[in-house]
Amino acid sequence: MNPQWITQVRRYRHFYLFISPFFLLFAVFGLYPLLFSLYLSFVKWDGMTAMQWVGLGNFRRMLDDDILRRSLWNTLIIGLLYVPPMMIMAFVFAQLLNAPWLKLKALYRAALFVPCVTPMVVIAVVFGVIFSPEDGVLNFILQRIGHLLPFLHFQGEIPWLTSEDWSKVSVSILVVWRWTGYNMVLMLAGLQGIPADYYEAAEVDGASAFQRMWHITLPMMRPTFRFCGLLSLLGTIYMFDEVFVLTNGGPGTSSTNFGMYLFNISFDQFKFGYASCVAYSVAIFVFAAALLVNRLNRGEQEGA
Amino acid sequence: MTRSQITHPITQFLFCLTLLIPGCSASNRGSEQSSLLTQTASGNPRGDITVWSWNIAAKALMQATPAFERKHPGVHVHVEMTGARMQTRIMLALAAGVGAPDVASLQQTEAPYFISTRQFTDLTPVAEKYRSMFPRSAWNNCTLNGRIYAIPWDLGPCAIYYKRDLFLRYGIDPNRIKTWDDYIAAGQEILHKSGGRTKMLPLGSNDLESMFELLIEETGAQVFDGDGRIAINSAQSRQALEIIRRMRAAGICSDVPAYSQEWMAGFNDESIATYPGAFWLSGTIEDSSTDYTSKKGNWAVFRLPSVVPGGIHVSNLGGSVLVIPAQCSNKTAAWAFVEYALCSREGQLSLYQSEKLFPAFLPALKSPAIDARDPFFGGQHVGSFFAEGVTDIRPLNRTKNWTEAVGYLQQDLSHWASTGMNDPGFFHRLELKLESRLDEPSARSGDSQQ
Repeated sequence: MNPQWITQVRRYRHFYLFISPFFLLFAVFGLYPLLFSLYLSFVKWDGMTAMQWVGLGNFRRMLDDDILRRSLWNTLIIGLLYVPPMMIMAFVFAQLLNAPWLKLKALYRAALFVPCVTPMVVIAVVFGVIFSPEDGVLNFILQRIGHLLPFLHFQGEIPWLTSEDWSKVSVSILVVWRWTGYNMVLMLAGLQGIPADYYEAAEVDGASAFQRMWHITLPMMRPTFRFCGLLSLLGTIYMFDEVFVLTNGGPGTSSTNFGMYLFNISFDQFKFGYASCVAYSVAIFVFAAALLVNRLNRGEQEGA
Repeated sequence: MTRSQITHPITQFLFCLTLLIPGCSASNRGSEQSSLLTQTASGNPRGDITVWSWNIAAKALMQATPAFERKHPGVHVHVEMTGARMQTRIMLALAAGVGAPDVASLQQTEAPYFISTRQFTDLTPVAEKYRSMFPRSAWNNCTLNGRIYAIPWDLGPCAIYYKRDLFLRYGIDPNRIKTWDDYIAAGQEILHKSGGRTKMLPLGSNDLESMFELLIEETGAQVFDGDGRIAINSAQSRQALEIIRRMRAAGICSDVPAYSQEWMAGFNDESIATYPGAFWLSGTIEDSSTDYTSKKGNWAVFRLPSVVPGGIHVSNLGGSVLVIPAQCSNKTAAWAFVEYALCSREGQLSLYQSEKLFPAFLPALKSPAIDARDPFFGGQHVGSFFAEGVTDIRPLNRTKNWTEAVGYLQQDLSHWASTGMNDPGFFHRLELKLESRLDEPSARSGDSQQ
């Protein structure tokens, strides 16, 4: 030990005392579970009986776990299905709400934000009725549209929740509905952060609306887009309640995403050791991906 | 973005709670302390005991408590309604080695899993004398290697609830529905005569598992054999699945998830004619058919159809048990309570009368209270109707792997239902899946592997 280091600590001990609450709480509620979970990755444990050291057994098991593979694949598909439309809609709504001519902004903003503060229980009931294969609201509307516009060939009998092809689409629709408002608020903040002089200067120079969008808004919004993208990445991987209430991962495993799978193995099957192992492995990938996004972000900022 | 990381915080919270308490590794004190129970069981129990149970069950126990305390003035019972996640709470307490209640209720289906952890008191010395007073199917979830670790509480004998007015209107005689073929034919007739408006039964493609369970109790299939080996790949399983296929193919099933909005709505409108279900469903029907109650007597029950003419027509879904965790420090008082509540006519009947929990204790089923006419069901003797044949219910071997196995079964059944219901290799693949996931051998692994 460095004696100087110790005297330093002793000298400033009051200050250390003042900052200690955070570190204590972090150690108990952050660091400790993190390390314990790492330890659990190497044991077999059902939560009740004694732990059994299995070394890398959990990792080996993970390699030929076809439901895990399926759930990661589903996670990817659901992400691809919902992130682009959600981002585009969030951006369009943010643009509209930022327009100077729009009245009742607060009302629209609140209306768009309501879905992400609505209790999941309510959402479950409402979307159950919307997607129901028996006289569901959505199928009813599609049927009506089909009658009005026969050339579209809408039969209005889409098995939203009972077919393996549609279950992911249904989940994605729910996610888009729920989280567009949240992203819109983030993007609105981004838009409002762009200095107005840029637009004024561009207008003086005779730039068209499209040029202003292309050369000012989009480049200036890039950090916001990345932030939203990062949140969506994490949200997609750990998405749980949307799937849980809507399809419970079915039919088959067609809508079981990673969050749902993790829930199943830990709280239905009580395989805490294996669940920790899977969670850790995926978390490492997510961490690496997030780091990459961040690095790209920084690189661009420096380059600009 | 979906910031819903529910799994993650819960996991972390759970783990950190568990390890906050030192020495959490489970201890096997069950067997040592069971002798304590025998020695003192005859003595006069005294002290406080805590009981954990969920909503209706907890309410029923609370109602039974005053009578018990009059009999045992030295004992005070605190019934705690734990709400959801009782499983997790019990598990935490068992893992931590402290904090478990003196008595807890468990679902019959999960009991074998909990018992396999050996964290519960061996009740054999004091409960052996009651062995013949409960149906064999209920004991099957309460024992491990022949020892008793839980006492059966209620049963879920099944029948078909139907709407009498619809059957009258469409000229269907429920007494002539003897087999599932008859049932399907009647369903098609109702569907046809109602112009497609009235389906025979609700059967959501995402929850076929309970129907399958109901049917295998009739066909005699098992998920696990008596030794815990995987036995799902059998002719009897295929027979049960074939009945589900025929029901769905006939177009008589309303594809709505159990307990969904539309499933509940079916109680009050004409979208669904019958609900196959256990005794405990009668309470839900009575409470939810608000529009139908004005026309009392529109609901009635008929026997579960059998697979073949003259075959078995009883099944059980659900039910619960009481256990005494090994941690319990006052086992004498805890056992006195369990014995009063479950192994006496008085106790079981009070639970039946307060919350309609169907007694597994056979002597209680012979009482006049069970035989009473039920005005809601048009004066049918509903209690004794369900009591008939409970001893014939085929026991299912549940083992500690039941919940997990049923999860895969559920997954595969919904996959099967959404992909054309035509898969001759269904049970073979399920067998292989269970083998690799449960680390259990298959009963026929010898010939199926080659």
